Amino acid sequence: MESRLSGIERRETLRYLQYRGGTLGPEIAAALDRGEQKLLETARPRTVWRLFEREADGRLAGTDFTPEGRDVAALLTDCDQVILMAATLGTEAERLLRQAQARDMAEAVIIDAAGSAAIESVCDALCDELAARFKPRYLTERFSPGYGDMPLKQQRALCRVLSLERSIGVSLTESGLMIPQKSVTALIGVSDRPQPRRPRGCETCAARETCTYRKEGTDCGKG
Amino acid sequence: MEKDKILLLDGGMGTMLQADGLPLGCLPELWNLTEPEKVTAIQRRYVEAGSRVLYTNTFGANRCKTAGCGRSVAELIEGGVRCARAAAVGYPVEIALDIGPIGQLLEPLGTLRFEEAYDIFREMVVAGERAGADRIVFETMSDLYEVKAAVLAAKENTKLPIWVTMTFEASGRTFVGTTVPAMALTLAGLGVDALGFNCSLGPQELLPLVRELRRWTDLPLILKPNAGLPDPLTGDYKLSAADFAAALRPALEEGVGIVGGCCGTTPAFIRALAETLGTEAPAKRTDMLCRGVCSATRTASFDGVRVVGERLNPTGKKRFQQALREGDIDYIVQRGVEQQDAGAEILDVNVGLPGVDEPAMMTRVVRALQAVVDLPLQIDSSDPAAIEAGLRAVNGKAIVNSVNGKRAVLDAILPLCRKYGAAVIGLCLDENGIPRTAEERVAIAERIRDAARSYGIPDSDLFIDCLTLTVSAQQEQAVETLRAVRAVKERLGLGTVLGVSNISFGLPQREIITQSFLSQALQAGLDLPIVNPNQRAMMDAVAAFRVLAGQDRDCADYIRRFAGTEENTPAAKPETGGMSLGDAILRGLRQETAALTARALETHSELEVVDQFLIPALDAVGERYERQELFLPQLIQAANAACEGFELVKKRIAARGAETVSKGKILLATVHGDVHDIGKNIVRVVLENYGYTVIDLGRDVPAETVVEAAIREDVPLVGLSALMTTTVASMAETIAALRRSGHACKIMVGGAVLTPDYAAQIGADYYAKDAKQSADIAKQVLG
Repeated sequence: MESRLSGIERRETLRYLQYRGGTLGPEIAAALDRGEQKLLETARPRTVWRLFEREADGRLAGTDFTPEGRDVAALLTDCDQVILMAATLGTEAERLLRQAQARDMAEAVIIDAAGSAAIESVCDALCDELAARFKPRYLTERFSPGYGDMPLKQQRALCRVLSLERSIGVSLTESGLMIPQKSVTALIGVSDRPQPRRPRGCETCAARETCTYRKEGTDCGKG
Repeated sequence: MEKDKILLLDGGMGTMLQADGLPLGCLPELWNLTEPEKVTAIQRRYVEAGSRVLYTNTFGANRCKTAGCGRSVAELIEGGVRCARAAAVGYPVEIALDIGPIGQLLEPLGTLRFEEAYDIFREMVVAGERAGADRIVFETMSDLYEVKAAVLAAKENTKLPIWVTMTFEASGRTFVGTTVPAMALTLAGLGVDALGFNCSLGPQELLPLVRELRRWTDLPLILKPNAGLPDPLTGDYKLSAADFAAALRPALEEGVGIVGGCCGTTPAFIRALAETLGTEAPAKRTDMLCRGVCSATRTASFDGVRVVGERLNPTGKKRFQQALREGDIDYIVQRGVEQQDAGAEILDVNVGLPGVDEPAMMTRVVRALQAVVDLPLQIDSSDPAAIEAGLRAVNGKAIVNSVNGKRAVLDAILPLCRKYGAAVIGLCLDENGIPRTAEERVAIAERIRDAARSYGIPDSDLFIDCLTLTVSAQQEQAVETLRAVRAVKERLGLGTVLGVSNISFGLPQREIITQSFLSQALQAGLDLPIVNPNQRAMMDAVAAFRVLAGQDRDCADYIRRFAGTEENTPAAKPETGGMSLGDAILRGLRQETAALTARALETHSELEVVDQFLIPALDAVGERYERQELFLPQLIQAANAACEGFELVKKRIAARGAETVSKGKILLATVHGDVHDIGKNIVRVVLENYGYTVIDLGRDVPAETVVEAAIREDVPLVGLSALMTTTVASMAETIAALRRSGHACKIMVGGAVLTPDYAAQIGADYYAKDAKQSADIAKQVLG
């Protein structure tokens, strides 16, 4: 399914660029505008989701997929159904990023950061849409392979179940990385009971592996 | 099979198997061996419903998707053919070996190498032919390059006919950007037997794509759509069998003769097709076909003037020669990017230089260009091996530059053009040299045309070069060339091409002569001017001609080209006022940096400019970055600005024919398994701008490649990057391999998940937390 990307939050782009204050001169402000604009014009976000019943043993009915780990089990305690979802900015954005790296590396890092901001906002929009659609039932927050103790290698099974290659053009490399890089997979529990909004800590952040704030023992302040 | 009736394929397989109990996510091909009667039963229902071609249940039976399943590719494929054969008993049914995408993206977007993809397909098609399949069908393809690997593997290793269907979005592109014309031009060129669309959308949504496809090919057309789109709540597809059949009928009127169903369709759908359309014939197609060349994502159609960029050529260009000798592919790619930005529509690629392995270099350059430039390419060489290397590496349909009237040349190169489906340029010269008169040149053109026809190359893929001679040396020849262009165009009806720039060699104000000759040649019927698109005057002449010839409808492109530009304003000179070179670099101002560097070079040697101006300016920027007064984009902008200065210095040195000023060699690589190379690329830009020669091995680089390059280039410093925790292991392996090799070098590592402790633990000499620090380390190791 094609999805919309209405805008990119400058604050988020700067956060992914690990900007820590200081003046943004006219040259850099213009570069930020340009990079964000190019990404907006080029990216063609696509999303896909599908609802599954959750069996007593945790397996999603009709599939060979059982989410693993204590954290995901805790998340889904109250849930009898699970939504698998995926979103991507498309190979259009991927190609833009590669072309930018050949043309202008400064613009490339901006596009890269804007892309991270954009894919998160595409996911947020999809989750809002799902929350509205599933009322009066309640959704948990989205949870991705690699969060908490859910093994990253479950990405492969999730991709197969959603046929991501066919449905939104996302494939995995031999080592299990998603291409296009600006892609997200996640699961969301569906329940009759209100689900706690857990603080958006580093644990569930897509940038947790690569965040330099975190490496320095701090955080970005968004949690 | 009756020729005038439509040919019925089968319907969905995966969705049928799931309905029979195959869990989502499991390998369907295993059932060929474990539950063959279930597979055969489904296929038998298709045969009874009217299918006359059965696709084997082997869509994903490649070595990547089946790894670890306990069965070999050959076993799964033999099982698949066996199941289909059993289902076909008693009916006139053909068995098509079904092959889907590998499941990993090829380079440059992904990490799978073209040769590896070829080998994966080779294994499958050989097994399929041996098992007795009647034809091969590659379906659900998104990536034209993957299809090319597949078709070449089938052509070179089997005798089976080949069908290809690709999966498009309603936008008219596949997920990786392939367009319908690019698919048609490339696959027809490679010699497939039928082509079309499957999966992704319902019949109605695919209809506009069918209309586009028939404009570009006269091959038989295939349509195998989904039963509409799936409902995410239930996984069910939306269309009924009757609606599906009704929605497919208009496709027959577009000339589609081979139809079936994909995901969500069942034997009931095929029965509905058989009952409502089974006795009908596809409409006859008499379209005038569109012609052209293409990359996977962009087409240059042969219905007007197309500018060919001439700058990727070492002849007379010292800096380009140096880049070829040093393997500086980035420099070459930059020249391609520049030409695309300047408006070139096709890029000529010539990498022939004594001492350079031309075929290997051609492959490298073509692939590197394709990663960032989306123009069709013109493979320019006199070496058949280099031409074949280029044609094999090209993603899309290329032009070969060139053949000529010499029999030996025609017989060596035309078969390659035919095999890879390339257009070709024929030069009007032969064993006796370049004829003096237009008539003699036209005669050679005719001979070339006849030879091309004898190899099955259509006239529409042949372009004649009537040859531009230097007007200051042979003045009467300019008119003769123009006469020949007109005659080839009018009398032979062939396309024409000319390298234009040569006309003005040796004269002052060359641009005036070249532009004027270009305009006259266009007037005479020149289709493909080979020019320097960076010269505004050339592109202006082409823009004006397009208006006057009625090719630029409503002058739209012309108006856009000059929108916002004042009449007769000279190009703005950068305003450097009282700015120092350091200020210009700090603010990331490229033109100003270049201007100030040029001024500095008037009074200082190249080395002095580097050591006294450029490096200190970069150091100052680096310090402010460390104090967090600047952030990453600013650091890089400064480095890029400095790059303009370094480029001037390099040009100066290359012009003198001296060696580059290099502070030493550094090898960079993103380790095996990792595709996140932006960090490594940032480091490269910064190091290069500090004057180091960077050998960039790219991303997903195996340990042995790093070791081999480190030894071959005798590199004292190796930089490795890994972004993910999962790939730090291969960084450790790479370090271990470098140490084992005994090559003495320092190793620095960087990447988001690394820490100084961890870097030490895996045996690195240095941990670089950012690009700035990598420059500090380089200074320490190399000085």
